[in-house]
Amino acid sequence: MAIAETKVDMEALNKAIDEVFYGQLDSTMLYYFQSCVNCKACEAACPFTPTSLHYSPVNKAEVSRELYRYRFSVWGKTIGRFIGGSKKYLSLEEAETMVDYVWHCTNCGACMFVCPMAIDSGAMIDLLKQVAFKAGMVPKIYRDIADLEISGKYWEIDFFKNSWNSLISKIKDAIGKEVPLDKKGSEVLFYTSIYEALAYPDVLVKVAKILDMLNKDWTFMSKPLGIRPPIGLVIGDKEGAAEVMQRVYSYFTDISPKYVMLTAGGFEYPSLRYTMHETFKVKPKYEVVHVTELLAKWYENKEFEIEPLDETITWHDPCQLGRRGGVFEAPRVLMKALSKKFKELPSHGVNSFCCSRGGGGCGVPSMVENMAKTLGIPVSDDDKKFLDSTLEPLIKAGKIKVNEINKIKAKEVLTGCPVCIESIGFSIDYYHASSKVNHIVDILADRIKVNKK
Amino acid sequence: MQLPFGDYLVGNSLYPLALDLFIPTIVFFFFGASYRVFRYFAVYKKPFIPYATSVMRETSSTEKVKKLVDTFANSSKVGMKRKPVTTAAGLLMHLSLIVIIFLLAQHMVFWAYYIPPYKILFPFAIPESSADGALAFTLATSPYTSTSYPFVHDIWGPLTIILNGQYITYILMILLGIYLGHKFHALAEGLTLRSGDWWFFLLLYIDIILGFLATSHIPNSVVYYDDLLGAHIIVAEVLIATLPFTRGFHMFEFYLGKVREWYFMTYRRGEK
Ligand code: SF4
Ligand code: SF4
Repeated sequence: MAIAETKVDMEALNKAIDEVFYGQLDSTMLYYFQSCVNCKACEAACPFTPTSLHYSPVNKAEVSRELYRYRFSVWGKTIGRFIGGSKKYLSLEEAETMVDYVWHCTNCGACMFVCPMAIDSGAMIDLLKQVAFKAGMVPKIYRDIADLEISGKYWEIDFFKNSWNSLISKIKDAIGKEVPLDKKGSEVLFYTSIYEALAYPDVLVKVAKILDMLNKDWTFMSKPLGIRPPIGLVIGDKEGAAEVMQRVYSYFTDISPKYVMLTAGGFEYPSLRYTMHETFKVKPKYEVVHVTELLAKWYENKEFEIEPLDETITWHDPCQLGRRGGVFEAPRVLMKALSKKFKELPSHGVNSFCCSRGGGGCGVPSMVENMAKTLGIPVSDDDKKFLDSTLEPLIKAGKIKVNEINKIKAKEVLTGCPVCIESIGFSIDYYHASSKVNHIVDILADRIKVNKK
Repeated sequence: MQLPFGDYLVGNSLYPLALDLFIPTIVFFFFGASYRVFRYFAVYKKPFIPYATSVMRETSSTEKVKKLVDTFANSSKVGMKRKPVTTAAGLLMHLSLIVIIFLLAQHMVFWAYYIPPYKILFPFAIPESSADGALAFTLATSPYTSTSYPFVHDIWGPLTIILNGQYITYILMILLGIYLGHKFHALAEGLTLRSGDWWFFLLLYIDIILGFLATSHIPNSVVYYDDLLGAHIIVAEVLIATLPFTRGFHMFEFYLGKVREWYFMTYRRGEK
């Protein structure tokens, strides 16, 4: 484990445990903590169980439960301590296990739907992630990237600036006119992050083209609001994430569109749609939606038609967009219009099998490493070891995903999250499958026929 | 000592003690359950809802009800696909337990004594053993002692030859044995196990064995019978009294968790 060699500040760790566990108890968490029957049904859903049973949701979340029991249950405070049922703090070894566990969970939420008691182990593991962050036990490479986002200094990096500006000029070329930038009161604010600008600039250009074709009143951002805001949430940095969300919220409010439209259906979707407003306790005037939601709405309003493909296609439900965000129906409206041979993956909807998000990391390891190098962030041996350790789950979970794709003989796997595309793409290559994985807009954009009013 | 049930003298056995302890058990249970429920209220925070959506989320009422059923069924559906053996064992174990606890004729008399309206369910009573079931069906005998509820006239007919306490108990003992194996496997793998799980599980297993021995008259003597039956009830009482502090409480919370999941994932997500 990457942190094994680093010095752990035990005092900071204990303080972090107290802060997180005393600070975040509510009735939902209490239910998750005390109502598990240890039936292990959740094993079936977790993308990390094929790597080891130690990574089964209940086993990972048990660390949280032990810390909870000491603080919140009579049993835990008394005999629980003597029979190993509860812990006040963690030993160094236990802390290392905890860090290993948190990077073997994508907070995908699949365990909750399969658990007969509807327990969200991901939520309990997330508490451990916050502890690890506060105790300085987050892989440095992620921390450096997140810090760059929080400080706002990402915009001083030429690589990012150039990529963003080149995206704007590509959009300009594609629509044949100036790109509307930061225009207040537009119907649609086309929101995207630097990460997406790097991962799939062509998809973003196509989205702009669709908006232009449909004659929508839209606007784009002259500057990105972060690398992939709020990246802090993924590494357990709630406070850092709140700072970034404040920036995002101010911008959204300033532009005040009807819809803030995201092309990414990863963690940014539930974060910007729900968490941001829940954190600040604000009821915005705009609505945060995924591009598929707006397109499905416009399609159903007959603003355009879709020329269908003649091949078997399938939709991979990104965990955060679907399970955490609640968007299942809209992509299916579009998928069914895109091909009569649309087939569901054996695991879909609330049971969609997580791509394992680059092995529990924030992306496929090689991509994270390359990004760090480009940004001038040094990649230490520990970082390297950590990134390598995320590869095994990616390969194991990828096998299940690829088998499912092969089973329905899908030619194209379409989805709506950059990391799903990357992870599934990795697995398809690794297992030499013949399918392709794309953002839905990638295929859709070329098949839209606008209905003239 | 005289028992509340008729003139049957039981002497100095565990049986009267067990009966005397039933009401205190229930009081203890309610105390524990209230504590557990109170804690939820004590830490309750009203969820903040930023906004309802206007885009593509309308769910019809029929769809909402369908999703409620799906919410409850999903665990078994996925389990049957990915972990068929343990899921099937789990389902069958729960089903057998429910049947035994609530429909075994002897248990029904017990429940009806404390909760009289329970009598409505008497026609569903299942007999103690396969032989009883066969006799009731082939000879259609009436009980020798006068009773206003002739259990032999149940609605199961020939099914009672397999649907009876004896066979279901065999199944239960095997299934709980599999569970025990599951636990030892977890222990060997170094996975976490909790004492609360063991406590509930072992009490349940012991209780089933005691009940089985008592009804089968092993060993065959009235004194032993009374002691075994008494022990069976006492173990059940310990189990009930400690229920709010063990995994056993899932028999109540199961509904809470699933309805909550449905409410947040389907009902509220679908609101406009
Ligand atoms: S499925 Fe739910 S109840 Fe069963 S072990 Fe997992 S978290 Fe616990
Ligand atoms: S949230 Fe997902 S990755 Fe995390 S434990 Fe649950 S199923 Fe596994």
